Amino acid sequence: MIDIRNLSVTYGRMTSEGRGSQAAAVKNVSMTIRKGQFSALAGESGSGKSTVLMAIPGLLPPGTAVSGEILLDGKNLLALPENELNRIRWRRIAIVPQGAMNSFTPVLTVGRHVEEVLSVHLGLSRKEALDRITPLFALAGLDGELARRYPHELSGGQKQRAAIALALACSPDYLLCDEPTTALDVITQRGIIVTLKNLVDEKGLGLLLISHDLPLAASVADRLHILKDGELAEEGDPAEITARPRNPHTRALVKALLDLEEGS
Amino acid sequence: MKGLLKRWSFWCLLVLAALALFGTRLFDALPEAEVAAPFSKPLWLDRSLPPTMDLELSGGHPAAELDWVFGAPSRFSLRVETALPAPSRFVEWTIPGGKTFRLTPLNRGVELDGRDIAFKRSLGLPPFGDASSALFPERGTYRIGLSGEGEWEGSVKIRLEGGRWGLLGTDQRGRDIAALFVAGIRVSLLVGIFATLLATFLGTSLGLAAGYRGGWTDAVIMRAVDLLLSIPLLPILMALAALWGKGLWQLILILSVFSWMGTARTVRALTLTLRDAQYIEDLRGLGAPAGYILRRHLLPETLPVLLATMTLGVPGAILSEAGLSFLGLSDPRVISWGRMLHEAQSFGAFTAGAWWMLLPPGLGIALLCLVFLDLGKYLEERVDPRLRGGNVL
Amino acid sequence: MSGYWARRTGSALLVLGLVLVLNFVLFRMMPGDPVASIIDPNFSPEAKARLSEVYGLDRPLPVQFLRYVRSTLTFDFGISFLTGRPVVEELKSRLPNTVMLLGTSLVLSSLIGTWLGMKAALKRGSLLEKCVLWSGALSFSFPSFFVQLVLLMAFAAALPLFPLRGTLSVPPPAGGLPLLLDYLWHMALPVFSLVLLGFGGWALYVRNLMVKILGEDFILLARARGLPERNIILGHAFRTLLPPLLTIFLLSLPGIVSGAVITETVFSLHGVGRFLLEAVTGHDYPAAGASFFLLALLTVSCNLLSDLLYGLTDPRVRMERGGGR
Repeated sequence: MIDIRNLSVTYGRMTSEGRGSQAAAVKNVSMTIRKGQFSALAGESGSGKSTVLMAIPGLLPPGTAVSGEILLDGKNLLALPENELNRIRWRRIAIVPQGAMNSFTPVLTVGRHVEEVLSVHLGLSRKEALDRITPLFALAGLDGELARRYPHELSGGQKQRAAIALALACSPDYLLCDEPTTALDVITQRGIIVTLKNLVDEKGLGLLLISHDLPLAASVADRLHILKDGELAEEGDPAEITARPRNPHTRALVKALLDLEEGS
Repeated sequence: MKGLLKRWSFWCLLVLAALALFGTRLFDALPEAEVAAPFSKPLWLDRSLPPTMDLELSGGHPAAELDWVFGAPSRFSLRVETALPAPSRFVEWTIPGGKTFRLTPLNRGVELDGRDIAFKRSLGLPPFGDASSALFPERGTYRIGLSGEGEWEGSVKIRLEGGRWGLLGTDQRGRDIAALFVAGIRVSLLVGIFATLLATFLGTSLGLAAGYRGGWTDAVIMRAVDLLLSIPLLPILMALAALWGKGLWQLILILSVFSWMGTARTVRALTLTLRDAQYIEDLRGLGAPAGYILRRHLLPETLPVLLATMTLGVPGAILSEAGLSFLGLSDPRVISWGRMLHEAQSFGAFTAGAWWMLLPPGLGIALLCLVFLDLGKYLEERVDPRLRGGNVL
Repeated sequence: MSGYWARRTGSALLVLGLVLVLNFVLFRMMPGDPVASIIDPNFSPEAKARLSEVYGLDRPLPVQFLRYVRSTLTFDFGISFLTGRPVVEELKSRLPNTVMLLGTSLVLSSLIGTWLGMKAALKRGSLLEKCVLWSGALSFSFPSFFVQLVLLMAFAAALPLFPLRGTLSVPPPAGGLPLLLDYLWHMALPVFSLVLLGFGGWALYVRNLMVKILGEDFILLARARGLPERNIILGHAFRTLLPPLLTIFLLSLPGIVSGAVITETVFSLHGVGRFLLEAVTGHDYPAAGASFFLLALLTVSCNLLSDLLYGLTDPRVRMERGGGR
């Protein structure tokens, strides 16, 4: 499991005056991501969710102050040198970035991206890699033909699924998904969530889903964590949290959502 | 604005502009005047060569001494100006060791040159070579004076041309390079600024028209842009300069005709985005004429960008003018830095090893370009955040 | 896709057509005697009259224009006033030198500039980066002829390491290898000067572009995939850099034509640029018109080529311009 202990992150921000206020993006967050478990991290925009996700594979910008530990098999990922991190990235931990993020290099085909990680991490030859593409895409609910397309030729939903396929290429143990369904229509959203759920159930992946959509996260996750202003406000069984929120903020949030549902 | 005062380019430009306007007053003679021997080195370059100097003797000041630590001057000339000749008195020249030469009686209108055969014969010198080597045989103290006593109205002007002159030496015609350099600032600034001004005016008008009107106007103007951009600049400048005249104003006109395209494109793009802004729509709905909208609203929006673009365009014009002048396709009567380099190449600066003819104009052009590039960058930086923040309501 | 190409080619042809008109107007409608632009004014009146007939100068202008277009497109540029030989011959003997000069220096300066620019982008804040940032402005501001004159004075006049003028020694050495070496020796300073003046702009452009690319999401995500740095820089960053780089390469070709005129003048090389200058100053209208047309043709072709090639290297452009519209 990925064991996050007392993670605190402060971005190195330089304001025009020189020495500006440096707000902590994440304050003392601790949580675990287990294999075979669908974990969700919810919260408002700016609550620090993406920061937590990016901290795990060591993708925070240089100059960021990070403290705490992120343990994988007893090793602290935050303290690992780059070359060791590269061996863990994608092979053990893969990320599916936000839909808005351009996760693919525009001048390369989607299939080429997959070929590349297969060759670098698993040492597969070109032919071997090509053979793997169709089943991999199928896992993500895509037609293998799409691998020949360039990123801009795919629709939003297709791109998101392609990103999932790419993430699964090296059969990682953990999949970290940052708002994978934002900016997509409801039907596509549902489809992707179902795909992810199946991956957890059938492949035993440890999945972390980040979303600002609390009902969505609550409906699908095995374990729910809620961030507010960089701090962990709530965590536990989603049903429990919805029924009996402990944190006053969560309480207000749940109440607001229930009001919406009842239709005012 | 305060940021402007901190930039080196601003002060540099001020100094250069001041020199352009008043610099010629620093010199006694006109830049075109011959002041010394051709290819004289700058004063600070080779101390063993004699500098070019002028001496004057008169009734009140009948003698002078020279501590001569150099070789012989390259040329020796003397002139007597008087209304009352005194033929019994002479200009005497005493060399170290005591020997005295009588150079000339104090007659009216005497003009001697060290190369005159008659003069040399009068001194008992062979007819070949310059008299000055005989008059300056060694280092030491020389004396020149008027023989005889008494009052005398008039002056004797002596000129010793050495191998050195001034801050930057002389060119192949003996003209002071420092004076030429200062005079050259004018042309560069003039052409640079006016050509760019004109080009900006053209580009802005056409860009606004194309962006605002759209349709045929836009198509025609953009075609023209494509066409003009496809024509290599220097060759067309060469052709036009050679065929239609080498004058300065012709050059400015031609340069602007071939430089407005970039501005037009930028302005057009800006106009297209601004045209659809809500307040413009409203104005149109209220019946405001196009001219009014363009003048009072769209044009002011483009001004900050234009200022930056213009400043960045000046170096291009300066370099084009310099290039044309270097190729010999400019008015020979006009002093420009490019022209100076042309003359350096064509009239033997290389054989004379006169590198001081090359460096000042070349460095001048580079400096001026760097100044405008820096200023342009400053203006661009100031414009950018404001544009992004949006002056549009 | 073919729609895009057809449109760009059509545009280029239109421009070329307009250049032909411009050329016709420029070099034939001179102040003064229009005949003087085609027939050497020094010829006898009888010769002039006969040649007028041959050249069709007594015909109406549109007919003249059509004849002009036909002769230009068949590369029949007439006889040079200055040398008396067909202009085509003169150009043929000079073109290879100009192409060699420009081609070599462009390739070298773009390669060196690209390499330096990439290094500078990867080592932000280093001395190298500072130099690259300055080199762009410096290489733009220093006039090419100035730098070349200084080099010539330093390394050919003061220190006689290189020849002062010419493409080959007079008389040229016999035999293949000595001739080649003599040629290279003569071309060394000109090419060096052009590379010196050219690499700065490249380095700056590449550095800026690379910095922008390195800040993009997809680069961060390439890192997330655990790819080694080399893969990321070459396979992703540089690959994204290629389309605009290629475009700039081709677009810079017309610009360096001006460089040819100046360089060939400074070093007294036997090339098309100096030919143009001599023709223009010597009022050798057939030669000037032909050189000018050739240079315009080069410019238009390069613009077209760069448009087309950009479409090929950048897949986004290919689809945008090609399909549907």
